[in-house]
Amino acid sequence: MMTERMFTSNAIENPWVRTLDSLKKTGYKFSRNWLSVLGLVMVVIIVFLAVFAPYVAPYPQHAGKFVDFKNKNQPPSWQHLMGTDTIGRDILSRIIFAFRNALLMAIVVLAISVPFGMLTGLTAGYYSGTWFDTVIMRVTDVFISIPPIILALSIAAMLKATLMNAMIAVTVSWWPWYTRITYSLASSIKNEYYVQAAELTGASKIYILFREILPNCSSSLLTKMALDVGWVTLVGAALSFVGLGEQPPKPALGTMIAEGVERMPAQWWIALFPALAIMFVVLGFNLFGDGIRDVLSPEEA
Amino acid sequence: MSETLLDIKNLHVWFKVYGGVLKVLNGVNFNVKFGEKVGLVGEAGCGKTTTMKALLRILPNLALIPEGDIFVRGKNILKLSSIELADLRGRGLSMIFQDPTSALNPVFTIGQQLYDIIKYSAGSSGQKVANKKNVALSALHEARLPDPERMLDSYPIQLSGGMRQRVCIAFAIATARDLLIADEPTTNLDVTIQDQVLRLIRDLVEKKGSSLILITHSLGLARETTERVYVMYAGNMIEMADTSLLFKKPLHPYTQGLLASVPRLSGGGFAEGIPGRIPDYRNPPPGCRFAPRCQYAFAPCTKAMPPLIDAGDGHQVACYLYQNGQEDRRNA
Amino acid sequence: MPDITHTNNNILVAENLVKHFPINLSGIFKKRWIIVKAVDGINFSVKQGECFGLVGESGSGKSTTAYMTVGMYEPTSGSLVFKRENIARPAVKRPMHLKKDIQIVFQDPGSSLNPMRNIQSILEMPLRVHNMIKKGHSIEKKVIDLLDRVELPSHYRFRSPITIGGGERQMVAIARALATDPSFIVLDEPTSALDVSVQGKIINRLIRLQKEFDLTYLFITHDLSLMRNVATKIAIMYLGKIVEIASTNEFFQKPLHPYTQMLLSSIPILFEEEAKLKPNKIHSIGEIPSPVDVPPGCSFNPRCPFKKDICLVEDPVMREIEPGHYARCHNV
Repeated sequence: MMTERMFTSNAIENPWVRTLDSLKKTGYKFSRNWLSVLGLVMVVIIVFLAVFAPYVAPYPQHAGKFVDFKNKNQPPSWQHLMGTDTIGRDILSRIIFAFRNALLMAIVVLAISVPFGMLTGLTAGYYSGTWFDTVIMRVTDVFISIPPIILALSIAAMLKATLMNAMIAVTVSWWPWYTRITYSLASSIKNEYYVQAAELTGASKIYILFREILPNCSSSLLTKMALDVGWVTLVGAALSFVGLGEQPPKPALGTMIAEGVERMPAQWWIALFPALAIMFVVLGFNLFGDGIRDVLSPEEA
Repeated sequence: MSETLLDIKNLHVWFKVYGGVLKVLNGVNFNVKFGEKVGLVGEAGCGKTTTMKALLRILPNLALIPEGDIFVRGKNILKLSSIELADLRGRGLSMIFQDPTSALNPVFTIGQQLYDIIKYSAGSSGQKVANKKNVALSALHEARLPDPERMLDSYPIQLSGGMRQRVCIAFAIATARDLLIADEPTTNLDVTIQDQVLRLIRDLVEKKGSSLILITHSLGLARETTERVYVMYAGNMIEMADTSLLFKKPLHPYTQGLLASVPRLSGGGFAEGIPGRIPDYRNPPPGCRFAPRCQYAFAPCTKAMPPLIDAGDGHQVACYLYQNGQEDRRNA
Repeated sequence: MPDITHTNNNILVAENLVKHFPINLSGIFKKRWIIVKAVDGINFSVKQGECFGLVGESGSGKSTTAYMTVGMYEPTSGSLVFKRENIARPAVKRPMHLKKDIQIVFQDPGSSLNPMRNIQSILEMPLRVHNMIKKGHSIEKKVIDLLDRVELPSHYRFRSPITIGGGERQMVAIARALATDPSFIVLDEPTSALDVSVQGKIINRLIRLQKEFDLTYLFITHDLSLMRNVATKIAIMYLGKIVEIASTNEFFQKPLHPYTQMLLSSIPILFEEEAKLKPNKIHSIGEIPSPVDVPPGCSFNPRCPFKKDICLVEDPVMREIEPGHYARCHNV
């Protein structure tokens, strides 16, 4: 009640003024916690590197078919900040390109699993207690119990092991979590008085689902999405570690670690830096997700 | 001042938020004598809960106290360490909250919670309390709860709202000796139960000789239960008097406005409330915080917050209308 | 029986209205159902333009009655007729014109408005659903007009409910109810969660709106002083049944039922003159039984100071004691 700035009537009529103020407030809420700001910085770095990889990586050609046996297994130096791998490629450049694949995977997986999971959870939650709810939630239970790696292995066994198939595998095992979370939120929100008021006035079901219930789920969903970018990256790395997903010579964080594991501890940099990169991604998105949650929670009076 | 149990002097409490600082308490003066029943009346947002939290030192981290003192039995509690504070809390003060359902832990029985309280009430002296069960049973009995033996093994969810509140009262009296703070103890209860619970509080307090601070927004309750009443508005005590005097002759325009807004049982209708809203604590008015809403506001009202002025018979009012006999201004 | 004919301008008529909630407590081996008799056979009628007051404590069934009127619950049996149309069915089964014509304002403004939306979109919703905006007219203008009717500034439409005070939120809830140009509004304790000074504003506004738009109100509250000044006819409910029903003046001049007298004597009084209006003090005793476990005979007998042998056995029938004044008691 006290936190809204008192505008003069005229100023607030201007939509630009409102937008600006709302942005400022978002910025303030976000910056309350320095860790979230740190997370934001990390996320910006990752995204920047991924988008501008060919221009930022010191040796962009190393990300493709490239061998330089003279330079293999070099420890970190000024020419190769993270050293070179077993066939002479610059690890830093490959990591930067690997970010591209990681983010791409995350985006694709989330772009499919979130809407699907959210829709199923929303409708199941609204109709909770009916057969509709039971059917959807039991199907969800089945899918939740499928581990992504086993599924990916099966798909790879049947089809080829490619990035696309890895993404399919992860998506299929990812959407049920969104169903669950939306379901539990929706089934409790539907009992709130403001939803009752909409129903009693005769609003359509679509309206109630998307304009009354869904906005109140947005905080949890968006936070989870931010965190999930990190987790999908981790799962993707696990898949490529065992040889599924993006195939060499295209760089993938998991593959790079797999290649470097045999060389531990002598050529420690080959495995360590990709591992740190994964940690960077997961940590960055986690902290950023915390910030999102703080921004989106409704203001307390 | 050996008679005075609690003395809050000129207390200021600020909260840091987006866009500035909320200057909630603006120099609160409040005192309670031993064995006295004092009411604190005010509407939502006036700062009464903040005052109590400051007294119990349970303000959140973003609160600061730039000025003011709180003396309990002569000791300035704002300067105590947490050990000394725990001692004070265990033996001297206890509080009953508005919602008995959330004040009771649903996963423990009443008995378990009561034993915990009795155990910790010994404070830092470390003495073991012999025979906790007897103490617990007598507390439940004093709170007029039926079948205290069975009550010890019951869970809060098995009890009605009125009984839960009585359990909270039992918790409070099991150990409190000096001061009981009741923060809107009957707001969530039914009208006929409210009556019972208030009578219980009053009788217990009188029997033990403890002091009572009754915080409420209901003027009627304050009138029936207390001896002396403070009226609070936007972070200041704006009027204080013996209960019967206050309701017969309210002086501050805010108090008058409040009393006029109460619906009459005689059917005479009631006023339209008080125009305006409580001030924005980030940008409070420079002088009297009620001035923007006050129909009698004049020159000094915008300069500085009026102090509590003595209007005779122990009646104090924070209003410039009563300085130097300006009272005629109202009739002009 | 109160006048429940469908003439005489009766806009809403309830006859033997019953709402039971069966609760399944069956275990794996033992089947067990209990029935919560929320409303157990009530009869009342509301005239066009009237403000019908429903008073009761927890478990009385007043909210259930209100919710059945609006369509949140479906009656278990009995009839409920609005403007000659049967409305004894849930809102989903009602035609749109009924949903437009009967509206409700809930008790808690905090949860009756969606915190994630702004007031503009909250008020637009009923307008859009019922196609209240003609081509060429701006929906924004209509929203501003609604805000104007409840005397809120037009720039409030950009704000979200959390950023405005409780009283103002309730005004928005009232504006939302008015948006569809209803003829009947159910007000479920609209000011119980609010302060006295805000209550005055809102209630007075509600009364003005009633006159301006020719509305009929079903007003629920536990505050009898408020009821005195608002309602034209009052019904008291206890454990799912109406115990007394009369016009307001009749009611307060001569309360007949012991429960009514108990309620009246529990009201905290502010002014000396009013103390005389209260009946002799009947101290409330005992707890309100749960609607699951209704005592046999007259359901009030465990708490009634005047109970006779017949009260334990036979449930009294509603009789007309004086013209227009009905009560259910063996003692009158």
